Amino acid sequence: MYRVEGNIISSEIASYLAPPVRQLLLGLDEQYCNRMEEIRLRCQQPLLLKLGDRDFTITPSGRPATDLYSGYIVTREDIQRSLASISDNSLYAFEEEIKRGYITIPGGHRVGLAGQVVVHNGEIKTLKNFSSLCFRIAREVHDCALPLIPYIAPRGVPVSSLLISPPRCGKTTLLRDLARILSTGRANLPARNVTVIDERSELAGCYLGIPQLDVGSRTDVLDGCPKAEGMMMAIRSLSPQVVITDEIGRAEDVAAISECLNAGVVVIASIHARNVKELENRPLMQDLMKMRAFRSGITLSRRIHPGNIEETIRWQA
Amino acid sequence: MLWLKTIGIVLVMTGFGSWGLNQARRIRSRVEQLAGLRLGLNFLLKEITYIHTPLPQALKRTAQFSAYPVSVIFKEVACCLEEKQGNTASEAWQKGMQKLSFYSELTLADLELLSTLGYQIGMSDAKEQERVFLLVQEELKLLEEEAVKACESGQKLWSYSGFVLGAVVVLLLI
Repeated sequence: MYRVEGNIISSEIASYLAPPVRQLLLGLDEQYCNRMEEIRLRCQQPLLLKLGDRDFTITPSGRPATDLYSGYIVTREDIQRSLASISDNSLYAFEEEIKRGYITIPGGHRVGLAGQVVVHNGEIKTLKNFSSLCFRIAREVHDCALPLIPYIAPRGVPVSSLLISPPRCGKTTLLRDLARILSTGRANLPARNVTVIDERSELAGCYLGIPQLDVGSRTDVLDGCPKAEGMMMAIRSLSPQVVITDEIGRAEDVAAISECLNAGVVVIASIHARNVKELENRPLMQDLMKMRAFRSGITLSRRIHPGNIEETIRWQA
Repeated sequence: MLWLKTIGIVLVMTGFGSWGLNQARRIRSRVEQLAGLRLGLNFLLKEITYIHTPLPQALKRTAQFSAYPVSVIFKEVACCLEEKQGNTASEAWQKGMQKLSFYSELTLADLELLSTLGYQIGMSDAKEQERVFLLVQEELKLLEEEAVKACESGQKLWSYSGFVLGAVVVLLLI
């Protein structure tokens, strides 16, 4: 399913890594780089790279290896230098992002942060003494959502739909491509105004507010915006025909989805669950069922490839 | 022979006199540079705490705002960071300080104070940045006050002592 792209690691990621780690990655064969999903730097632990379900490392001599303890050991300095590059030596400019636990870099790649959490009055104030970084590589896979279109937009008219899967099954990539397809339009699928509520900056990969990934020409992005508030803002000011958002799961999301549906806006969202049965046991989903919020549900897995359609379900209106 | 002696006297007097005047100018310049540095840091602090401008751009703007030679440090650090060669702000700051020490009249004590800022710059939240900047600015103010006092007493001393020393040398040679 995944389209082989140029070497994103060397063109978009390497410059944000500490020089020793950068050198190791730049020496890596392109076939590894093209399939890489995550780069994990943990203090005093081997450098870890994720290719699909496989973990591997790079030895200090630059050879890829599956025995993690033969790999290059990441130092505190590597973490500090990488963090300095990611934040452009300006941690103060990313206070909100650090509170949320990640920084998005140009290209829409998200760097997850871990370290000592500073809590004040029960609220996370900041993170300090960073101990690990997780680069999640955002890949655009144009047209990967085409197999979903017959379920999401039967007869060319989008219906409110839910993508159901455990983490790392390609929900975000599919939602991004759905935004692009619905916003651009195709034969028998007229283009629509789409608003993406991108609470975690993963869908559009905004950097300084500008989407770095292709979400279509009729798409507005509310970056870093809480989903429920974002949906209400979009209805009030952006007149969307379709709202797309990632990982619904809070009680306030239900109320906002209800508002969208009452305003005639189609909601396409994703939710964490392994299958429809598991989903229907969740109290939140029971509320949504009662509301008859979603018409179509698609269960995804990575059994054959990420974004593999396992099951489709049509709920009665 | 008399004309040769006259030329010698003039040269010795001019040489020692210029040296004295130059020393006096350096004392005066140090005061101006410390004040300029304090202003520059204040400008940079505003960029960091109010506008949250990323450090390379904030430093570039501060360099444009500051007068030479104080602008040298901000310009050098901004250039170093923009190269994106994996340099941390602390390393870039040290490079900038080396360049500043070459072009300015700042003393070792002034530069040591500035170097403390290098360990913190950019790599904490805005409140922490403000705390560090204000601390360094306060210390700079104290150094500036000392420099003003040193300038008041030392400037005249150096201006005259060059010529006096020149005259002594002339008398000894004659």
